[in-house]
Amino acid sequence: MQPIQDKDFDQLFKNAFEDAEITPSRDLWSNIESEIEPKKKRILPIYWLSAAAVLLIATIGFLVYQQQEVKPKQFANNVEPKTIKPIIETTQVGDSVKALGVVIEKTEQVSPSNSKPAVALAKSSVKEAVKSTQNQKAITAPEMQKQETIIAKVEEPKQEIIKRKIEEAIQQPKEETVIAANLGSVKADDVSGDYGQSENKGIRNVGDVVNLIVNKVDKRKDKFIQFRTDDDDSSLSSINIGPFKIGKKNRK
Amino acid sequence: MEGCKAGDRKMQELLYKQTASKMLAVCMRYAKDRMEAEDVLQMGYIKIFQKIKEYRGDGSFEGWIRRVMVNTAIESYRKNLRSLNVVEIDEAYEQPSTGFDFGTLGMQDLMKVIQKLADGYRMVFNMYVIEGYSHKEIGETLGISEGASKSQLSRARAILKEEIIKMEGFGYATYTG
Repeated sequence: MQPIQDKDFDQLFKNAFEDAEITPSRDLWSNIESEIEPKKKRILPIYWLSAAAVLLIATIGFLVYQQQEVKPKQFANNVEPKTIKPIIETTQVGDSVKALGVVIEKTEQVSPSNSKPAVALAKSSVKEAVKSTQNQKAITAPEMQKQETIIAKVEEPKQEIIKRKIEEAIQQPKEETVIAANLGSVKADDVSGDYGQSENKGIRNVGDVVNLIVNKVDKRKDKFIQFRTDDDDSSLSSINIGPFKIGKKNRK
Repeated sequence: MEGCKAGDRKMQELLYKQTASKMLAVCMRYAKDRMEAEDVLQMGYIKIFQKIKEYRGDGSFEGWIRRVMVNTAIESYRKNLRSLNVVEIDEAYEQPSTGFDFGTLGMQDLMKVIQKLADGYRMVFNMYVIEGYSHKEIGETLGISEGASKSQLSRARAILKEEIIKMEGFGYATYTG
């Protein structure tokens, strides 16, 4: 036997493997199939989520900006008539009660979450707005409790008007909210009963603040964003942007 | 093929059925065992279906599929790169001085001896001998020097020859030393 040359040796392997075939296991294709399938499905939600996140941040940023401009005006309106006309004062108190009611409506529906970017945006600018509201609260708190029950029922038409005013003042970034105002009034009935309890809650965290703003602007039953603040920290409970909805309400 | 580009699942399955056994033979050469080979095969096909739009029609379609498969195998080797083959390199193998009768050895036998090689040797041997890469390309792909590629190839050859002689000796008792 002759020692084999490297070239021949290599050629031997080459020939042997040229058309080599080994049948794969039967279930291999289904593995591949299932690997391809979920990836396609996963991709879509990621696009949706990122689009939703951008929209959300932009919207909240815009609302916060609007809120800053609107709040001082409201405050001025409420204070001025107080000194001049005593009669009007009570209605004004009613207004502020109402405003608080709206705030509270929020705290009721709040829940936990991570939407920190949005929250961080809202945080600083909203604090001022919150302070002014709290001031009102301090002044009117005693009267409020007395009138509360009456006002809740009697003032309903007025509430409607005020809501509209606020909305107009804010110039409604979305048509949906205007349309949904009717829905909001239906909802108000449900919530009016809760005014007393929720009052104690006040604003404890950023989730409350965001809810406050959102409730002001978005009167639909499904707010475009809501936080849950039952616990010490707030977390996202639901999002509703047009066709895109996330809700954790069932867990409540 | 057009169906595969459009993501038609039926056409993808057809492509798989037509090519999979050939491609598994490719993967087997690069793997230690069948399980590892089938893992690479699976990754390779997923890659093929993702990249099929990039195939422009230059060269044969099967050649393209084979290239993707080989690249997948190399990638998988690099991911699992262990220090193991460094130890193996130091093992000295004498070049067997005798020749042997290859006629009796089938593809399965050759596959067995290739799979027994240390990972690094197996890579270099496959890439150089079967796929026709140059030592320079192998060095760049595996992150070793051109010289290392050459020396690993000759060691791989030596080991293979020795193994084959052993095999023939056991199988046919005709080996005379």
